[in-house]
Amino acid sequence: MVGWLDVPRGWFESFGEIARFGSRVAGLVYSGRVAKFFGESLRQAGILILGSALIIWAFVFILGLNCGIIGAYFVRSQGAPALSGIFSAYCDLREGLPYAFGYILSAKVGTGIVAELGAMRISDEIDALEVMGIEPVTFLAATRLLGAWIALPIIYLVGIGIVYFASYLAVVEQIGDVSSGGYLLIFWTFQDFVDIIFSLTKGMVMATAIVLVGCYYGYTASGGPVGVGTATAKSMVVNIIMVHIVGMLGTLIFYGANPRAPIGG
Amino acid sequence: MMILTARTLAAAVRPPYPYGEELVGQFLFVLKLSWFPMTISTFALCLGAPGLQAAGVLSLFGALDRLGGFFVVTAVRFIGPIVTAAVVAGVAGTAITADLGARKIREELDALQVLGVDPIKNLVVPRFLALMVITGLLDVFAIVFGLTAGIVAELLYGQSLGGFFATLFTNALVTDVWASVLMCSLFGGIIAVVCCYKGMTASGGPAGVGRAVNQAVVIAFMGVFAFLYVFTAVLLASNPELQSIR
Repeated sequence: MVGWLDVPRGWFESFGEIARFGSRVAGLVYSGRVAKFFGESLRQAGILILGSALIIWAFVFILGLNCGIIGAYFVRSQGAPALSGIFSAYCDLREGLPYAFGYILSAKVGTGIVAELGAMRISDEIDALEVMGIEPVTFLAATRLLGAWIALPIIYLVGIGIVYFASYLAVVEQIGDVSSGGYLLIFWTFQDFVDIIFSLTKGMVMATAIVLVGCYYGYTASGGPVGVGTATAKSMVVNIIMVHIVGMLGTLIFYGANPRAPIGG
Repeated sequence: MMILTARTLAAAVRPPYPYGEELVGQFLFVLKLSWFPMTISTFALCLGAPGLQAAGVLSLFGALDRLGGFFVVTAVRFIGPIVTAAVVAGVAGTAITADLGARKIREELDALQVLGVDPIKNLVVPRFLALMVITGLLDVFAIVFGLTAGIVAELLYGQSLGGFFATLFTNALVTDVWASVLMCSLFGGIIAVVCCYKGMTASGGPAGVGRAVNQAVVIAFMGVFAFLYVFTAVLLASNPELQSIR
């Protein structure tokens, strides 16, 4: 049975090891040693696009609908229904999208990697790789990280478009307090290119952390088929906390002292 | 999954009730797993998104005291439920799927059936009820920690707290709070059914349990968010008093 302090203790214990494993994998990518397996990286990127992109987009679409109706009703209660664009712009781009991206990525990609690598570890395929002279960390973890870096920014940018479309649908078509032109004017005024860069940075930091956590728990899984399931569940705990902390730090760093709104001087 | 829901509900109300002990055990299990991620996550999300982001914009208008009213909309209606659901699905739901999946792979569930013990009544129903209750109760704590984050954000901007509490309490209605808690209880039901179903149908050797956990958490997230959208739309449209200016 688990104790009350097991989760925080386990989190702190594994955090150092995850950081060490993660820096090793990132080092392999940066030093270019992963270039040996560039084809495998492209294959991993392809798996991400074919297997996860649709689910990510569906999830951010629902998030956009949620942001839209909540924002529309909130500004209606303030007596300024024309301004729902402000809430949508902030909720979609700055805050909501990175979190939604992090949630669904840790659910789909993170646990998927743990299940896959864990199964390889349990059936001794990772040891077999080592015997064949292929370095397993490079071949399994570093290629996945590079694949994620190739595919995910594009998935994220498309996701921005989808979440905008969903908010537009919810605010203009469903609630209908504001005309299409009036909504879009406010909506585009309250964001600029730098916001997209900030949002993308947040999302990519989360994605990197999620892929590394997934690789770590999959690579170190033990204890038979049951162990794979347990490792998958554990990786999800770490990912949920990590996503929120990265999101908060991102907001603190990017917008903490400067709200970047086109109001006043 | 619908069949499992119906059978779970039927088994929950029909006597006998052999699941009392398991219910308490699962309740404590979920609580012990979830309290730490829940606390950190709600605080971080509420400090970042509605706290600093909205406080920055409101400070441009010189209207930082309106942050309390804004927190009712975000922390109570939106962020409290989604963080609770994400944490329960990600932490407790995955653990339940891994647990039931392991029993399925080791053929313990078949053994139970041979012994004449109904797995739905003895395994699924206690988890279902425990998750429904605990998700609703954790939502209260999520709201408390979310409001704490709001207080921290006000203090970071050097604002006195009187205005925050004044707008908070004039804008918060009882409807808001019970709707939030009710929504979370239903989230708990969705998560429990999805995770139990995926755990009990896990198959396919070593990769099977991991894959079941993966699918369970994805389906639970999608279901919870889709349900959130429907519930919020119905709630706000059917309770016009939530939309008036105060």
